[in-house]
Amino acid sequence: MFKDMTLGQYFPGNSFLHRADPRVKLVALVVYLVFVLLAKTACALGIVLVTMLTLAAVSRIPFSVLARSLKPVVFILLFTGVLNLFLTTGETPLVEWKFIHIYPEGVRTAVYMMLRLVCLVGGSSLLLSYTTSPLDLTDAIESLFGFLKKLHVPIHEFAMMMTIALRFIPTLTEETDKIISAQKARGADFESGGLVRKAKAIVPILIPLFVSAFRRADELAEAMECRCYHGGEGRTKLKVMRSRPSDYVFLLAMALLCAGVVLANRFLSFEVGVFTL
Amino acid sequence: MSFIEVDQLSFRYHPTGAPVLQNLTLSIEKGSYTAILGHNGSGKSTLAKLLCGILTPSEGKITVDGMDTSDESVSLRLRKTCGMIFQNPDNQLVAGMVEEDVAFAPENLGLPREEIRRRVDEALETVGMTAYARHSTAKLSGGQKQRVAVAGVLAMLPDCILFDEATAMLDPTGRRDIMAAMKKLNREKNITVVTITHYMAEAIEADRVLVLDHGKLLMDGSPRDIFSHVAELQKASLSVPQVTELLYLLGKDGYAFPKGILHAMEAADALEAVLPKRALPADAKAPEPSGAPETDAALELRDVTVVYGEKTPFRTEALSRVSVRFPRGEVIGVIGHTGSGKSTLATLLNGLRKPTEGTVLLGGVDLWKEPKQMRKIRSRVGLVFQYPEYQLFEETVRADIAFGPRNMALPAEEIDRRVRDAASFCGLSAEELEKSPFELSGGQKRRAAIAGVIAMEPEVLVLDEPAAGLDPKGREEIFGGLMEYRERRGATLLLISHSMEEVARYADRILVLKNGRVYLYGTVGEVFGQAEKLFDASLDLPQITKLFLELKKRSLCAETDVYTVPYAKKRIGRLLECSKT
Repeated sequence: MFKDMTLGQYFPGNSFLHRADPRVKLVALVVYLVFVLLAKTACALGIVLVTMLTLAAVSRIPFSVLARSLKPVVFILLFTGVLNLFLTTGETPLVEWKFIHIYPEGVRTAVYMMLRLVCLVGGSSLLLSYTTSPLDLTDAIESLFGFLKKLHVPIHEFAMMMTIALRFIPTLTEETDKIISAQKARGADFESGGLVRKAKAIVPILIPLFVSAFRRADELAEAMECRCYHGGEGRTKLKVMRSRPSDYVFLLAMALLCAGVVLANRFLSFEVGVFTL
Repeated sequence: MSFIEVDQLSFRYHPTGAPVLQNLTLSIEKGSYTAILGHNGSGKSTLAKLLCGILTPSEGKITVDGMDTSDESVSLRLRKTCGMIFQNPDNQLVAGMVEEDVAFAPENLGLPREEIRRRVDEALETVGMTAYARHSTAKLSGGQKQRVAVAGVLAMLPDCILFDEATAMLDPTGRRDIMAAMKKLNREKNITVVTITHYMAEAIEADRVLVLDHGKLLMDGSPRDIFSHVAELQKASLSVPQVTELLYLLGKDGYAFPKGILHAMEAADALEAVLPKRALPADAKAPEPSGAPETDAALELRDVTVVYGEKTPFRTEALSRVSVRFPRGEVIGVIGHTGSGKSTLATLLNGLRKPTEGTVLLGGVDLWKEPKQMRKIRSRVGLVFQYPEYQLFEETVRADIAFGPRNMALPAEEIDRRVRDAASFCGLSAEELEKSPFELSGGQKRRAAIAGVIAMEPEVLVLDEPAAGLDPKGREEIFGGLMEYRERRGATLLLISHSMEEVARYADRILVLKNGRVYLYGTVGEVFGQAEKLFDASLDLPQITKLFLELKKRSLCAETDVYTVPYAKKRIGRLLECSKT
């Protein structure tokens, strides 16, 4: 059932990460992304990995749910791994067989790359999509980018559009479901035939859906007008985002970790056998 | 000066088009409760939009609390004074969370946070939705969404709220809740309520009723006043409560009754004055509903269970071990609460959904024997969903009706014939066939959509609330066509409905579902004979049947198997005859 689908990946909870100010989380995410991409040595990557695992523990989101967020990137993960493994060249090959040469540098890059990707996806899921409801995210974006209003960027309008889009996703999925059933009941065939026929078969779904979306938009605009909506000017908010001291501590910790990664890159590297770590 | 003053108002959507409202003059007092009645296309919704300033008059003038609605400079104050609730609950909620949606208007007004908080809490309290404050709006029922919409308007602290057919898309429970809210707002909060509707039950609750007909004011008075003019209302394609119609018909035969009787109890009082008391035979126990005979069944369900969300926390049984037979050629009414499994049942019958357990038999053959042939089955069991007009998509009505037959790969002449036949069943003229479906009126669209299913000439036709939201005349046209189709083609009809009057009038047999199980199944008489059980399932009886139950209690009439007005008139007429001689 489409109805039971939760929006995005938001996993309701009451952990520190769930309660943190979404603006702080957004900034923390940027810091996190920076140090994930900077990490070049084993120690630096270790810091990143520990950070991610700590976030996971703090969020109290079950491991199985977290693993699901990696599912869509498994292919990219393997692809990057294999590519780096075979295509990175060094001085003395580890394995030599016909046209295949594997160098220690290749193994290292492949492992690092895959680790980095896992941390990238896992960490951003934890910081944002799993612990921040789409509505909070919208508010955070509106507030963080509020300064753009001075440059005449319609940031309030963007935020309002996003709120409305989020509100209508379940309504329109349900409606699509209904229209598909109704046309199937009239003998429409969505399964057989080639690509052209299949594309044509979508017309009886798309047209009613568009007509209905326009009608809804029209009615919603009237309803909003009736409730005194006149743009973002002079608008106040029921929910005011507040950052608590703990949010700043969190941000500071992230910044320190970032510094740690930079230092580890610089000073902490050693050699194990043929590998430079 | 009254709160709302409409003076010589005319309105047209296009400067050259026909006027939707003509020369309308009326006034509405502060703190009153007014119902505006009218058929589809009478201009009542346009009037609502004019009153709250979304539209402005073409000629004449409207003032609300002294503000001219055409005056742009007061528009914000006008909107704050006069809120509006629209028909479709889905299209007026802005935010994804209940309290944020209610806060929308006060946020727009730029109120301080504490004030917004206070108003949101109070508004939710008034409509009884406090417990849902932090819920997602998407998961509420239609009635609950509409209550949130009411709270959203209340948070502006308006003097007046307009309800534009706000109950038309709701189930009976939702409708009851919204009507209770209207009453409460008017009586306790002293808010001026204007409700626009074609449901008589809603108009009865008001202090004053205005009747619009083709853009003109036809009648203006108290509900009793208005409903004593039965003939005029019927001419304006509106209906009256069943007991009102009964007494009116008897009145035409020369019996005098007090005018404007609206409730079953009052009607019983009026009849008690003229009918002699009689010794009634001892109460025979009402026969148990007997299901359906073992004869030729068009469709049959055997031990069917449908489960949604298996292996998830959302697991629900929509139907549990349902076994029923639908005899060929009959009309079967399906009634039950929202969530009783009616819609699931409908999608099972043409293979849109596969039963989790059990079998569905069409003419004795398992529907799922050859899943590849499912499309053939779908042309044998036609399914008309609620609001089928939303599935129209072709350039012309003709092409749209032909969509089904075309999918059956019939020859061109045959498609042509079927389109013609289906159009004639549904009362669509040759001229309307060439129009775009999006140019038609609401009632015509509905009929075009139903024609699209009838054109497949199914032997079983399943209809989910085919007349929802239409005025009495529109309803009549739809059912007339359906009954004619059944007559001529010997088809079996399954009619899912919330209206007991409708089911009583058209069905041969009634299936009552409750929590996914067969609760009662039998002939109309057998099922309506189980009044207690129906009330237990929070279902109702036709008003006329309630009257006869009351008459029996007062030892005036022995029969209680009366479900339609013409039959009731015959019965009472005979009793009155006897008492004369």
